[in-house]
Amino acid sequence: MTMTMTGPVREPSGALQRLAQAAGDVRTTTLRYVLRARSQPDVIIGSVLMPVVFVVLFGYVFGSAIHVPGGHYRTYLMSGLFAQTALFSSSSVAVAVATDMSEGVIDRFRTLPIARSAVLLGRTISTVIIGLPSLAVMITCALVVGWRPDAGLASAVAGFALLALFGFAMSWVGALTGMLARSPQAADGLSMLPAFVLGFVSNVFVPTAGLPAWLRVVAEWNPLSAVVAAARQLFGTPQGGTAGVWTLQHPVPTTLAMGLVLLAVLVPLSVRRYISRD
Amino acid sequence: MPDAVIHAEGLVKSFKKTPALRGIDLAVRPGTVLALLGRNGAGKSTAVRILTTLTRPDAGSAVVAGFDVVRSPERVRARIGVTGQAPTVDELLTGRQNLMIVGRMFHLAPRQARQRAGQLLEQFGLADAAGRLARTYSGGMRRRLDLAASMIAAPPVMFLDEPTTGLDPVSRAQIWRAIREMVTQSGTSVLLTSQYLEEAEQLADDVTVISDGLVAATGTPGQLRESVGQASVRVVLRDAGPGTAGRLAALLGPAARLDGRVLTLPAPDGLGSLAEAVARIQPMAAEIDDVALQRPSLEEAFTILTSAGPSADGARPELATAGAR
Repeated sequence: MTMTMTGPVREPSGALQRLAQAAGDVRTTTLRYVLRARSQPDVIIGSVLMPVVFVVLFGYVFGSAIHVPGGHYRTYLMSGLFAQTALFSSSSVAVAVATDMSEGVIDRFRTLPIARSAVLLGRTISTVIIGLPSLAVMITCALVVGWRPDAGLASAVAGFALLALFGFAMSWVGALTGMLARSPQAADGLSMLPAFVLGFVSNVFVPTAGLPAWLRVVAEWNPLSAVVAAARQLFGTPQGGTAGVWTLQHPVPTTLAMGLVLLAVLVPLSVRRYISRD
Repeated sequence: MPDAVIHAEGLVKSFKKTPALRGIDLAVRPGTVLALLGRNGAGKSTAVRILTTLTRPDAGSAVVAGFDVVRSPERVRARIGVTGQAPTVDELLTGRQNLMIVGRMFHLAPRQARQRAGQLLEQFGLADAAGRLARTYSGGMRRRLDLAASMIAAPPVMFLDEPTTGLDPVSRAQIWRAIREMVTQSGTSVLLTSQYLEEAEQLADDVTVISDGLVAATGTPGQLRESVGQASVRVVLRDAGPGTAGRLAALLGPAARLDGRVLTLPAPDGLGSLAEAVARIQPMAAEIDDVALQRPSLEEAFTILTSAGPSADGARPELATAGAR
């Protein structure tokens, strides 16, 4: 018989070792996606320029016509744009996951001895990491056009942490959408439509007070409105009027709870879907 | 086969109502290559998907590297390397990054992963392209990188699903060499699916032919060839005059069949029969163009084994047990 020179099999023995190995797997998959992004500078440049265009476009075009009670429109707008950017992470993750699924890469990963949650966690965590440069550019733009987090640094950091939690939860919405969609194109459509509706029927761009009564109800109960209101509260920028619904009166706990509940539901659901074998 | 590294029994799998596998048995002996042959849609890929833990069988069981694929999929995964039909190298990573990431996924230490990646890049002739993004690679290079990635942790069992489909002959030969080295140097056990009979001839110790989700035949390549007919001696005459042919037939005996300038004679003893025939036709050497021993090709065996569709009740009277068990 031939001498066997195959490699030793590395398997964790205890629960702690298993957890450490899973954490390592997540680090590896995250690294993979970050490395991928690094070799696509054109995509990064696009995602960095987009917020600049948004700030200028909406800030000055809408800002010339819209007046917000209690402050300047551009300081009002910025929290909306931050939240919208976080919202749209669902779409980019959905397309990316659907692409992975359709190209057979996922099948290869499924035959590797990695933690079952590692691929999706790596995808969503890397989305947050890859989004950091564009966040930095967006904050710079905001400061240039006159936005100031007047509630203090600690509160501002809390505001960005809350937005990050929301963005992370949205990327899991994207992960599940990407797995349910039959193609990257379908994933794009499926995730863009709700993002657009949520983004516009809300307090992102205009105070809800001026909307027709029925639409105002929708806009105020829109969870994205609560996220935006939470950001405005933590940044100390104008809310654009008084809110009539509970979620807008308590936006920070609402956003926190929503982010955590979404993650508690979506992460196990997506991972289950990922490992399901037909 | 109790000591088999891959051992499957009665695998059944249907998709919706279409049966893909209707009860197949497979066995790969340690340190050998089994070629799983079949036409498109015969069930090869489904069998590989079950054995690599991607799909659950509806019925039957499979043990790979000592672990049940349904009950302990994660333990199976730690012991197998898989190369799929479509290479799954990441185009946006360099060759080296691709290998190191997969190495880290097999839980090699960073230094070990780097070292193995370097070795494999060298071995697969990719050292010069190691720092380039894989999207700049040719089809053959990608396939080699994919194979290298599946070998990074030197798993004891490898699954190669049509590893050379669509490659040019030079790239194909490179992949074959790499597979052969892996088996002889590391004692790896391999299950290979292929549509190319030549690939099975080149690499396989054993062959299993599947057709319509059933095993049509199993045995060594030689046994399969013999199952469809024996070898023959073929004598080609310089000219086909009735006199010459008649004299030759007389020398060779009544078993010889004449067809134009060609005389065929059954060769039950293989080379022994050839030697005997050559000795007999010695007196007519000047009038003979060529003498050769002709074996049935694996191609013929494959064609016969996969074209006789099973009858309605699933029985295949002549071929069901062709070849050695």
